Amino acid sequence: MRIGLLTEGGYPYVSGDARLWCDRLVRGLEQHEFEVYALSRSARQEDEGWVPLPSQVGRVQAAPLWTAEDDGVRYGRRARRRFADCYGELAAVLCATRGSGAEAGVDAGGTAGAAAASGAAAASGTAPTSEADRFGSALYGLAELARDEGGLVGALRSETAVRALERACRAPGALRTAREARVPELLTVAAQLERVLRPLSLDWYEDDGLGSVDLCHAASGGPAALPGLVARHFSGVPLLVTEYGVQLRTHYLTAGDAAPAVRALLAAFHGRLAAEIYRRAAVITPGNSHARRWQERCGADRDKLRTVYPGMEAARFTEVGEAPECADPDTLVWVGRIEPTKDLVSLLHAFAEVRKEEPKTRLRIVGTPSGAEGTAYLVHCKALAAQLFPDEAEGPHAIGRNPVAFEEIGGPEAPTLAEAYAGGAVTVLSSVVEGFPLGLVEAMLCGRATVSTDVGAVVEVIGGTGLVVPPRNPRALAEACVALLRAPERRARLGAAARARALELFTVEQNTAAFHGIYLEIVSQSPVRRVVLDDTGEPLPFGVPAEAHVPGRWTAPAARVAARGGPGWATGGPVRASGPVSARGGPVAATGGSVSATGGPVPATEGAR
Amino acid sequence: MSDLGELDRPGPPAGAAAWDMRSEEWLSGAACLRDDGQPHSRSGEEHTKPASDDAPAHGPGRRAAAADPVKALMHRHRELCERAVDPLEIAAGLEAHGVTDRTASRFRHRDVFSLAEEMYARVPRDGGTTHRPTPPAASRRRADWALLALLPGALCAATLAGLRLTHGQSRLITAAVGVLAVALAVRAVLSRGPLATKDRTPAPGTGLWTCWLVAYAVLGDGLLRVAVAGGPDGLPTGTSGPWPLATAPVLALTLACAPAAWSAHLFAARARRKLTASRGLTEFTSSVRPLLCGTFALYLCALTSLLALTGAALDEPAAYAQTVTLGALLFLARLLTAHGFTYAPGVVLIATATVEGAALATVFAGRLPGCGFLAIPVDTLVETWGPGAVPALACCAAALTLLLHANRRLTKASAHARTEGAA
Repeated sequence: MRIGLLTEGGYPYVSGDARLWCDRLVRGLEQHEFEVYALSRSARQEDEGWVPLPSQVGRVQAAPLWTAEDDGVRYGRRARRRFADCYGELAAVLCATRGSGAEAGVDAGGTAGAAAASGAAAASGTAPTSEADRFGSALYGLAELARDEGGLVGALRSETAVRALERACRAPGALRTAREARVPELLTVAAQLERVLRPLSLDWYEDDGLGSVDLCHAASGGPAALPGLVARHFSGVPLLVTEYGVQLRTHYLTAGDAAPAVRALLAAFHGRLAAEIYRRAAVITPGNSHARRWQERCGADRDKLRTVYPGMEAARFTEVGEAPECADPDTLVWVGRIEPTKDLVSLLHAFAEVRKEEPKTRLRIVGTPSGAEGTAYLVHCKALAAQLFPDEAEGPHAIGRNPVAFEEIGGPEAPTLAEAYAGGAVTVLSSVVEGFPLGLVEAMLCGRATVSTDVGAVVEVIGGTGLVVPPRNPRALAEACVALLRAPERRARLGAAARARALELFTVEQNTAAFHGIYLEIVSQSPVRRVVLDDTGEPLPFGVPAEAHVPGRWTAPAARVAARGGPGWATGGPVRASGPVSARGGPVAATGGSVSATGGPVPATEGAR
Repeated sequence: MSDLGELDRPGPPAGAAAWDMRSEEWLSGAACLRDDGQPHSRSGEEHTKPASDDAPAHGPGRRAAAADPVKALMHRHRELCERAVDPLEIAAGLEAHGVTDRTASRFRHRDVFSLAEEMYARVPRDGGTTHRPTPPAASRRRADWALLALLPGALCAATLAGLRLTHGQSRLITAAVGVLAVALAVRAVLSRGPLATKDRTPAPGTGLWTCWLVAYAVLGDGLLRVAVAGGPDGLPTGTSGPWPLATAPVLALTLACAPAAWSAHLFAARARRKLTASRGLTEFTSSVRPLLCGTFALYLCALTSLLALTGAALDEPAAYAQTVTLGALLFLARLLTAHGFTYAPGVVLIATATVEGAALATVFAGRLPGCGFLAIPVDTLVETWGPGAVPALACCAAALTLLLHANRRLTKASAHARTEGAA
């Protein structure tokens, strides 16, 4: 099976997002052929080069998203009209009030929230599909124009485009913010649209490119999935979209400080692009339920959504995870990158409360600061720790040390990540903002009992195998820690349950196996039927030889032709076998269930989602 | 695998100083620890006030929050609500500040999205908060191009002075070195400042055809006169003799690099200012058109006066018609190229150079037996208005064409859009 892997600022660039995941996926599914179509984000990223690629990556097509060459094609009258029609349609869709939800809300003014919310929900639920159709047809119209005539980059920057935008903004029924757009804002929007529509001008959609793959797998939403949409339009290639972070949300958070009109129009574009991607994708795999909620919100069909958790390399935690007794029973551990959102201040205050109850407890904060802000925060935390906790010594002749130790991975105290977790009986996570808490998964793989704040996907990850407290609540955090410190048996039970849960859900193997299954499902449900044409344009009989359907890679010199039940790529599972699952899986499940009952004073919120 | 977790991580809260204030409160004992499970009412943003102000204000705030909790939340995220362009932006911002669905349930909402929708709907929008367009900060870039633009003229003047002072072989060397230096200086002027091409390369051969046009301005008139009279009998020897070199035009043209750069800068800067000020594309076009004409006229005035000066200084007849039209043609071509329109200037320059070359060629071709009729138009023209009429007419037609073209293209807003590199 040939898979077109679409990335944007990711694999195979050395500094790419999610390159590790892509790399594991490609290496784990070596029975498939991969073709990587990568959009680079900056000149620097291109200069840094690629990661080494395995042999199953047949080819890599890279294109810059940060610059575009005008190919100098000048449209004739007909092409110009075609462009003006498509672009005008696109602009009109962007300027139209979306679903009337927002405007209705404005009219409602200060009415009760519930009423406004229900009205908006109804409006967005019945959002006119014709609008999505218009957006899609405009987008594909531009793609067809780029394929037929070229010159889209120049056209998107031209006066025709700006004029179409202006007309759409001034049209009756346009967004209120769009109506305020002035000339500089129109120019900015046109330039930004040109930037995001650059993938349409690429030459990837020919029959020897994305037209020939069996499945497009976009490693993120937004611009990365745009080639997939176009390939689906031109060649009917099914599209699989994996989003570990929702692109639309990222767009909102990084939109910058542009004028309201610019932000409104660009947000409309990204929102509609996301809706179109979700509408056209065969399967969407969010990385956690948070991403899933956003996708549902943006119009993704629930039947298409399959949550595939990111996987972690479990092997390096095996030794620590199988030996829970090596932990220091009086030590709390925090591991992560040091920055203000981790709220170490709360942790230190909670630790002060813990020490009132359990004076022998120590706290190890393992991590490196990220950026200048993180460094300043680390200095602040160190000062706070020194103020809160005086140095302590064993006796009158010993040198004292602070009960809070700041360490780094690779230092003498914590040479590896696993040993950092191994040192403590309880792992604490005190963040106020979190995405998918990988540190928590690491602690779970190490078989450590955890106390975490209820942020991001924490509850979803921890299930019932650890304690969860509200964020910014040092007293609750302290009470949970004390409860665990005083109950070694409960600690062991929770740790084992956490490890079993993590091994079941958050390993690389489950991630790869899930995608393997999804690939097969998509290809079996929506196979690409290609008609091979001969030189005169007539369909070529027997253009696809029968060998194409026999098992094995029939193009390879030593094809594994064997009398199996189906094609070769469908027989074997993922190459890597499942990792060693802890033998304690059985009893653990029971303890996991009992955690919420034994939650004690802690506001245990397991399973609330 | 540390990269996947980062992908779905909400952005950090904007208030970076929050941990500072709060921890100070803790240290000073002013903090009131909540144990009623409502830790979210203290987010990271509102701690810009000193702690002493914060503590007494807490009681009433709490009562108000009980009556209308969303109002308190909106007050806290006031900036976010005011700048949001749709509810999803508020939802994203709230999540970045740690608001989860569970927090939203405390505000009697199913999830963050419906909470954000209520907040978006309740933001007062009286239209008074229109975004005031800030004129782009006058970037104090190094204005070295303004001085550099004087260099070609200075080098050309030095070369001409050298030519007057030297004789024989050293004169040839002076001429060669001078031409090379002037060419390099012009190239330097065109590579930076307002006359530089933004991101596009000009049409190929533009430089070559420009050189040909300038060379014709120096040599062409003399050659044409000699050719019509039956010559030439030898190479040009100087500013006098049967085939005189016209040095005043080339000196004026090189000196005019400076006014050209300055007027182009003036045009770009004024157009950008009008861009910020205008509400619509039509308004912009109608306001830029006089600006373009004014800039062009300014340049022509500068060129004419320079021509008069150089003619007087070099004691040569100033060939006004052909030099002014040539200067106008070159200026317009460069202005269009600098704004990204490379096609038309290339075509027009080639056409002009071809016409001038053809005029010379017909004169010589007319000497062939049976082809005498070929030379008749040019002969008539030279007899009527003199040899300067050929380049003057050619350049005038070309300059007018380009002026019309510039009037259509350079008055469009898209011609003045800043590219990412220039922004």
